[in-house]
Amino acid sequence: MVFDKHRDTIEELLSRYPVKRSALLPLLNLAQREEGYVSQAAMREIAAILDLTLPQVFETATFYTMLSLKPIGTFHIQVCRSLMCALVGADDLLAWLKTHLEPGADGTTADRQFTVSAVECLGSCATGPVMQINDGYYERLTQAKVGRIVSDLKQTGDCSLKSGPFMMPERTDAAGAGAP
Amino acid sequence: MKAFEKILLRNMEQPGYTGSLADYERAGGYQALKKVLGGVSPAEVIETVKQSGLRGRGGAGFPTGVKWGFIPRDHPGPKYLCCNADESEPGTFKDRQLMERDPHQVLEGMAIACYAIGAQTAYIYIRGEFRLGATILRRAIDEARQAGHLGANLYGRGVTVNIYVHAGAGAYICGEETALLESLEGKRGKPRTKPPFPATHGLYQKPTVVNNVETLANVPHIVNRGGAWYAAIGAPPKSPGTRIFCLSGHVQRPGNYELPVNATFRDLIEDLGGGMRSDKPLKAFIPGGASAPFLTPDHLDVQLDFESVARAGSMSGSGGVTVMEEGTSMVWATLRLMEFFYHESCGKCTPCREGSAWIVQILQRILNKQGRQDDLHTLLDICGNIGGRTVCAFGDAEIAPVQSTLKYWRSEYEALIAEAGALTANRKAIPVLSV
Amino acid sequence: MATSQQLVTVTIDGVRTQVPDGTLVIEAARQMGVMVPHFCYHPKLEPDANCRMCLVEIEKFPKLQTSCSTRVADGMVVRSSSAQVEAARQSVLELILGNHPLDCPVCDQGGRCDLQDFSHEYTPTAGRFKELKRVLPKQYLGPVIETQMNRCVSCMRCVRYCDEVMDAQALAAVGRGTLTQITHWADHELECDMCGGCIQICPVGAITSRLSMYDFRPWMLKRTDTICAYCGDGCQITVQQKDNQLIEVNSTLGAGRNNGDLCVRGYFGYHASTQAGRVRRPLMRQADGSLAESTWEDALEHVARQFLALRSTYGADAIGGCITARCTNEDMYLFQKFMRLVVGTNQIDSSARYGYINGVRALRRVQGTHRWTVRYEDIVQADGIMLVGTQLHAANPVTAIQVKQAVKRGGANLITLEALLPARSTVSNITTLARHHLTVQRGRFDAAILGLLKAVCDGNLIHEEIAGQAPQFVDAIRTRVAGVAWQVIQEQSGLSQTDCEAAVRTYAQAERAVLLVGQDVLRSLGGEGMVTNLLDLQMLTGHLRRPGSGLGCLAEENNEQGAVEMGVVAEYLPGPADLHDEGARAALAQTWGGGVPTGASATLVDMVSRAKTGSIKALFIVGENPVASLPPDAGVIEALESLEFVVCQELFLTDTARRAHVVLPACSVMEKDGTFTNTEGHVQRVRQSVDAWGESRPDWEMFSALSVLMDHPMEYADAKDILREIRGVVPGYTLLGPASMPPRVDEDTVARYVTRGFQDDLSRRYTLQPTSLPPSGSLSLRLVQSLYHSGKYSTRAKGLLEIQGEGRLQINTAGARRLGIEENDTVRLVNERGQAIVSVTLSDRVPDDVVWFPEHFDQAVRVLFASQVDTQTGVPVWKTTNVRLETVRECRSERQP
Repeated sequence: MVFDKHRDTIEELLSRYPVKRSALLPLLNLAQREEGYVSQAAMREIAAILDLTLPQVFETATFYTMLSLKPIGTFHIQVCRSLMCALVGADDLLAWLKTHLEPGADGTTADRQFTVSAVECLGSCATGPVMQINDGYYERLTQAKVGRIVSDLKQTGDCSLKSGPFMMPERTDAAGAGAP
Repeated sequence: MKAFEKILLRNMEQPGYTGSLADYERAGGYQALKKVLGGVSPAEVIETVKQSGLRGRGGAGFPTGVKWGFIPRDHPGPKYLCCNADESEPGTFKDRQLMERDPHQVLEGMAIACYAIGAQTAYIYIRGEFRLGATILRRAIDEARQAGHLGANLYGRGVTVNIYVHAGAGAYICGEETALLESLEGKRGKPRTKPPFPATHGLYQKPTVVNNVETLANVPHIVNRGGAWYAAIGAPPKSPGTRIFCLSGHVQRPGNYELPVNATFRDLIEDLGGGMRSDKPLKAFIPGGASAPFLTPDHLDVQLDFESVARAGSMSGSGGVTVMEEGTSMVWATLRLMEFFYHESCGKCTPCREGSAWIVQILQRILNKQGRQDDLHTLLDICGNIGGRTVCAFGDAEIAPVQSTLKYWRSEYEALIAEAGALTANRKAIPVLSV
Repeated sequence: MATSQQLVTVTIDGVRTQVPDGTLVIEAARQMGVMVPHFCYHPKLEPDANCRMCLVEIEKFPKLQTSCSTRVADGMVVRSSSAQVEAARQSVLELILGNHPLDCPVCDQGGRCDLQDFSHEYTPTAGRFKELKRVLPKQYLGPVIETQMNRCVSCMRCVRYCDEVMDAQALAAVGRGTLTQITHWADHELECDMCGGCIQICPVGAITSRLSMYDFRPWMLKRTDTICAYCGDGCQITVQQKDNQLIEVNSTLGAGRNNGDLCVRGYFGYHASTQAGRVRRPLMRQADGSLAESTWEDALEHVARQFLALRSTYGADAIGGCITARCTNEDMYLFQKFMRLVVGTNQIDSSARYGYINGVRALRRVQGTHRWTVRYEDIVQADGIMLVGTQLHAANPVTAIQVKQAVKRGGANLITLEALLPARSTVSNITTLARHHLTVQRGRFDAAILGLLKAVCDGNLIHEEIAGQAPQFVDAIRTRVAGVAWQVIQEQSGLSQTDCEAAVRTYAQAERAVLLVGQDVLRSLGGEGMVTNLLDLQMLTGHLRRPGSGLGCLAEENNEQGAVEMGVVAEYLPGPADLHDEGARAALAQTWGGGVPTGASATLVDMVSRAKTGSIKALFIVGENPVASLPPDAGVIEALESLEFVVCQELFLTDTARRAHVVLPACSVMEKDGTFTNTEGHVQRVRQSVDAWGESRPDWEMFSALSVLMDHPMEYADAKDILREIRGVVPGYTLLGPASMPPRVDEDTVARYVTRGFQDDLSRRYTLQPTSLPPSGSLSLRLVQSLYHSGKYSTRAKGLLEIQGEGRLQINTAGARRLGIEENDTVRLVNERGQAIVSVTLSDRVPDDVVWFPEHFDQAVRVLFASQVDTQTGVPVWKTTNVRLETVRECRSERQP
């Protein structure tokens, strides 16, 4: 069972809302976090927990583009392709990623490590081009930077270039060093 | 540009300020909440906010105090506050910074708003991509709860305020307030038909206020320093205060800049943003997020307030200012935005659903040099049939780039279509037997 | 916001009118004869205003407004056809047509499509959309419902209907924007109520029926409005045929009791009588024992001769008759007249004996009516509804829709006492809407009902009026329930004191309270007593006599109410009047020109036993199939074999007809005229929609022909002619259709009941028999009603067989897992009477201590059951037995695709 180890989380989640169905998106997000995508097994469990029918779960799940109903790569690279990032070179990055990672028709590499998607605005337009990999944002990207990120992820599963709390224009003092 | 005092970014721009509860309290945080709970009636709080003239910072610019005043006072059941943190308007990224850098400022504003409207529960609907922001907010809520700024019986005054973070999962439309409510109820984020309005039939059909992050972040300062103080800043009486403008595109120093709204686009782009990033001059700018009609260099001296921008034929919207240099194809830029709107149209109502798809196809053809003579007429006609005919404002938003670029840069479209015409003449048409 | 009684003045297209405040503009326009075109609006659904087709100009509004979601205000001025409005409509159509495949030539909706009609009316012939159309992949949704999503206009009427009206939530709008499509979930085949509502409500051809796909063009169809012959709800259906072939059935908003709604049986079950295997010509038993075709003359003369001979040898009471309650009132009336007047016996019964009679007897006894005192309209307006043993969503699906409306739209408090669990799935389950659901264990509704009564007494919920009017009645019940311990009630029914108290408190506080009683009560031992006790509950809570409140017993078969009123049950003459009611006998004698016989009556079970003992020599069986409706131990086969003469009037060679000496081919309901009386008591017109099958004739014609041959002619021109006679004998048949008001409670009867009548069997009604727990290791096996079938008749309908083609044992999911049983496993059911091998399906609705099997397919398991007969009412009861369950691992079968 997908949610067995999250009984407490789910109970707390349900306590936040007067209507159970409100916990649907949080649970779908949790399912995706747990399994990398929203499986049919997870949707069945969610339907049972929230007293919903499966079509009710499914129609909500398919509305939101961050939810993937099929398995995807370990690292989901989502490159912003909206105008603001495109003005500062996002299309080139996307092309670079496609050339270097060679994802298949479903966007995922043969080794199932990376899935590359072009997505709409990530809300980081001052620091474009930007991409999101799983939970983290990577901003003010260049091809060299993307190359390093990909190789870091391949090697260590993480990358220090991930953004901290957003601050733009940057503060000059040391405390703000986490900013991009 | 005249000197001015920053309100929202002041704390976070202090050296060493981390946004922790301790930092926030040291900077005077939660004094406003204590003040209202210490003897200011909800009606007086609403009056103060009304007096301040604060207007919604999400895009529509509706007066916040008036919105709060719509909540039926004597409604017996629960009421809700929803903080709209679904910041998804292309070109906008201010709320992210407010949440990640100074979360308590937002939380205090929410707590005061809850008190004013009589809500015990508030949800922060944050876009799913903002994982870091959600984490920071959750941590801040825990801190505030432990310190007694949130939770039951605040400061022993019998007031309860619980705030929960509710993450979305990728849908621009959920920034529309009724779509946000639908999404919060676990449904597809489709805007509701209004009336009824959220003030009476909102979340779970209960009276609900939906306010933008930046709007709420202003509230503690207004409470602390008075409505009159705020009302004197910026462009009173209609557009008082400062706003955070999000500068992006081909400028030297993109970023979030807090300005009194009587400043001009020139102040923002040239003064604060350092002007263009290269020697290519300014060609166009979007003054208020992707939904705002494009403006030209002729509009640089327009003031940033809602009314001035509207008079210039656009809207101040979400405060996202995107700058484009000479050489940027306006047809390409329009298509890029249109593709965004097509991707994000929820599909509820016909004009937006079908119209966005049609417009995208026409623009793609024009850009690919397959335009037709009647395309521009058709484009404008489709836009005319979307504007004002849809369930929510998304329809009006999606036609703004098309209409405005056709207004100022029609020749670019015409050139591409002419090129297509020239190419078609050389293309071998389907052979037709001549008799 | 609902409409109010206050009228406001609006001007639409220059014409002033008055409509109730709060009326939708589109409805106000419709009332004035102005049709505002629309796709997404439907009067049954909450406005969604998504198609934008109904935009109109309203003065003082800067923008066009959707007339489907805007409510009128006093002084409002609306223009529905200005240039601006026309332009907006044209644009919406142009946008919709842009992505529409225009495959009208192969679309089943072509010719009755809103998109076609509006395009024809409002758009120029040439469109400007010269881009790529979306192409959505084809998805197989299931055996009877077809989707063509490229045709979809995203109005969401199907999804909204499935949710708002059916409460099934089986359809999902999937994806976003232009790529939104309607499906079930992921790639799964549709599981739902299969009511066909989505097909009917689709304004275009995006959802269609696979039963009639590509078979017709709408203008080729000949339409006939008639009444569905499955359950007692009595829905009006429109049967559509082409070249005498049944093509489809649908229903019309605003018509019939169902107001456009149907269930799966009504919508997909219309092929039941068009199967190969219909008897085409009369059959007669030959010397070699076989049945061979004969002529009508030979067959009828033989029957007449035999009846006359038997009567003269043994007397009239050597002949008995039994008729199915699926027949028309005219058939049944003439049958009892034939038996009583021509044959001369009172040995008549019908399938109302299987349980419906229990309810009618109790109603007559306590409140002096044989019909409900409420109607569907009262259910919808009720604020408190209690369902007792109804399985309403499966047994009476359209009555269930009224309850769903009451709860979902009206906010009524629903209380359900049902032998199932409130598990939600995409097949609607009425108990999931309940404010208080009480799962009744082991079918012990007697204990559950006593629990309610005890809670009423304990909780001081007795209405002051009855307390003042009939203190001795109230005291007697108080004393009786005091003698029943909560512990016993809980042991037997599973209901706790807390559950019962909460439920009755809600129910007692209702202003308008409707109580519906279903087959789990009516078809059990002591059913009459249980209904009487529920009427006591109505009385004590003050709901018996209050207008808008009342108790209704649900009919499983389409015309059980008619059977009772036509007097084809042992205890009643037409009326119904008691068999020994002298006034009624005299009136009938005058109408008939001959007296009602004085001999004893006989129930179905009596007739079977009299056949076995030899006092009955011949049975006239019309459409009834006792061999299949009763378990083997009832001895029906032995009884038939010991008879000298058996005549069956039938559509098919059933297990009973196969044993007859003469089989007379009868017309199905699609092939004859007449009337049905639905469970609410509305008499509705049945009309012939296709030609008679082979040489079959309406049942009444055969009675009439036999009467002539037996020298006591009863001749009628047609079914209406019989109805004219019925009107003189049976009250309530003057006006047809759903207009009549329900009867009022008879005050004299109530007064008699609360002073003396209640005492007769009080101790029996208020005493609980000890629980007989299944022996350890055993489970209780119950035969249950399926939503997809009605009796055995529907198991001949190809559409319904596509949906449910076999009986499978339903086991509680968690319980099955404990037993190591999984979906599709094969298990052996064993008890002292025999064994049966069946495949298994898991269900969250089945309580843990029970397994269910659909009664429609009970041939497979009938051997396991034994029948008992209710000593008060002669109702045969046999739907429950105990079995051991053994897994048969080696032959696990896969479900047929």
